[in-house]
Amino acid sequence: MFRKILIANRGEIAVRIIRACRDLDISPVAVYSEADTDSLHVRLADEAYLIGPAPSIESYLRIEKIINAARACGAEAIHPGYGFLAENADFAQAVLDARLTFIGPSPEAMRLMGAKTSARRVATEAGVTVVPGTTEPLESLDEARRVAAQIGYPVMLKASAGGGGKGMRFVATEEELPSAFDTAQSEAAAAFGNPEVYLEKAVERPRHIEIQIFADQHGNFVHLGERECSIQRRHQKVIEECPSPINDAALRASMGEAAIKAARAVNYVGAGTVEFLVSDRTREFFFLEMNTRLQVEHPVTELVTGFDLVREQISVALGEPLSFRQEDVSWHGHAIECRVYAEDPDSNFLPSPGRIMHLRSPSGPCVRDDSGVEAGAEVSIYYDPMISKLAAWGRTRNEAIDRLSRALDEYMVGGIKTTLPFFREIVRDAEFTNGNLDTGFISRFFERRAEAALRMKSEETDEAETTRRDMAAIAAALDYMQAQKQNSTGNQTHAQEEQQSNWRLTGRAALHRRIYE
Amino acid sequence: MKGKIEVRSQNTEFRRERAAKPPLSFILNCDFWILYSAFMKLIAEIDGEKRELEIKRDAYSVVAQLNGRHYEIEARDIRQGIFLLIVNGHAYECRLNQADTKRKSLEVSVGTHAYNVALTDPKRLRTAQQPGAHSDGTTAQIVAPMPGKVVRVLVEQGAQVEAGANLVVVEAMKMQNEMKSPKAGIVTSINVKAGATVNGGDVLVVVE
Repeated sequence: MFRKILIANRGEIAVRIIRACRDLDISPVAVYSEADTDSLHVRLADEAYLIGPAPSIESYLRIEKIINAARACGAEAIHPGYGFLAENADFAQAVLDARLTFIGPSPEAMRLMGAKTSARRVATEAGVTVVPGTTEPLESLDEARRVAAQIGYPVMLKASAGGGGKGMRFVATEEELPSAFDTAQSEAAAAFGNPEVYLEKAVERPRHIEIQIFADQHGNFVHLGERECSIQRRHQKVIEECPSPINDAALRASMGEAAIKAARAVNYVGAGTVEFLVSDRTREFFFLEMNTRLQVEHPVTELVTGFDLVREQISVALGEPLSFRQEDVSWHGHAIECRVYAEDPDSNFLPSPGRIMHLRSPSGPCVRDDSGVEAGAEVSIYYDPMISKLAAWGRTRNEAIDRLSRALDEYMVGGIKTTLPFFREIVRDAEFTNGNLDTGFISRFFERRAEAALRMKSEETDEAETTRRDMAAIAAALDYMQAQKQNSTGNQTHAQEEQQSNWRLTGRAALHRRIYE
Repeated sequence: MKGKIEVRSQNTEFRRERAAKPPLSFILNCDFWILYSAFMKLIAEIDGEKRELEIKRDAYSVVAQLNGRHYEIEARDIRQGIFLLIVNGHAYECRLNQADTKRKSLEVSVGTHAYNVALTDPKRLRTAQQPGAHSDGTTAQIVAPMPGKVVRVLVEQGAQVEAGANLVVVEAMKMQNEMKSPKAGIVTSINVKAGATVNGGDVLVVVE
């Protein structure tokens, strides 16, 4: 077994990997940027190395600094997590060149699957159906125009090196193409250091379903079933579940087989995910891309299959055979995960950076919260605003939803806006509970919600709501009275104030401004 | 009876604290209790809905009057910014957060419900006018919605723009947001350059 693993990541995934290391009695080593000095992953690790200033381009994306840190501390392997360098073949190669183990597939497999255009080619050659579109990066806007006209609008522009919805634009008409093309390119360049984009036909009302696969260095390939990730905003997943509400064993088997075909074509090793678009009507599925890393949403697969994917990644990287065969894999119950983002769902999911003043994480039966923060943590503008992943398991989908609703209600994050209120509504939405999902779910949900809000307005506010509003006013007044008291007690309270929470420094200041100005 | 014991223990703490402090603050601390035995009058605006509030606090006991509704409340300070209010056997956990420095209101969460609350003390000075983004029909200010970096400025000063035209691209958290003009008009001022770091609320472009 490895003695020491360096984790080239931050936030909840770094914490998740640290936990797997602890399970295996491996010493975890963190790296961090100046913005992350006091963050949770640093505090939970055995060793931590500063690798640069806050912007990720100067820290978490600096290959040589990470490798130097690994060498300096004597780590034998590097786990890249997801995002940052996780799908960067040059990084994987540099790790190997430094005679360290990269916990992931070979650089060759990453190169082939990493560029979406070559991935489509590989999949086609392996006999897996793909969505119509280009297999090469677009050279120019003119070429984009020509291809789009050929396959017909609407089309999707996607970053060749992309993921997470960055560098991705939906284009409904030709008029929208020039500005979308520019934005997609510059977003791709900023996020991945590669401005290449390609184009494909947008499948309407598609379900986004992906297959988790696992392979070892001995040629064994196993699939761990699907995750449905249709609920997306800005092409970024927000709710994922395992299994899909379709829950069709035959479909699972044939998608699993297709996923393994694609992975086998690049001699894949480790954990990987093959994404498909599934037509809700015909149940046809099209290969979209392969993610050559651990996925954000891996916990739902873990909850339903019982396997620990990070632990398995580590043992596969050591050269051990998979600890399970295809016939050992069974799916028990249902798990759903919500990505809790520091974003304001009422302002078009605008990021809401800031300090987390209060935090109450949910717990209780069959609830799992993979969090990267504690109360007092700063959600900075430099990184992805996801603060945690909340998942719940149940014997049935309905039971999982009941527990997820309960956990969402219990979850309190103060000081920043989060997507929690939005999730609380979604898990109670009839379309969601009926499992009618596709990638247009959120926009339709917002329409339903606007209509419901209009209906609500015409009705009288009920008594419970009136009391709640009164209590909100009373709480604010009590706080104001405390502030008055502290002002009147002068200097001595000022000293106290400095020691007290930052909430006071910001919140109180705002209140005072309103009152004194 | 139980309440009384707790009150006493709090007073003991108070005394201990006071013993270490200069005499002036000792007197001021005493003043506090006299001051707050009277009702305080405030105007509370909850999600834009005005209420007149009269409130009095005596240790754990709060009496409040809102638009004629009378409440007798047991109030506990759980932590800074968190109050537990118990009314007729109903418990309300209220958490206060600064909603937006620009808007100068507090976000108060009651359970899973959140409200924007702005307090005005009629005894104090009037509240100032709200700064920030606005479009009064003739002038539109395009304001940075959050801290970030200006990636591109797409227009020049004096340019004629249509409603919905892209003006500036701001990147925050790796997402690029195209800031559009809310109206047709002429770009009268551009306050930023590509590469500039901006704060939430900064005026980027003015269209008239």
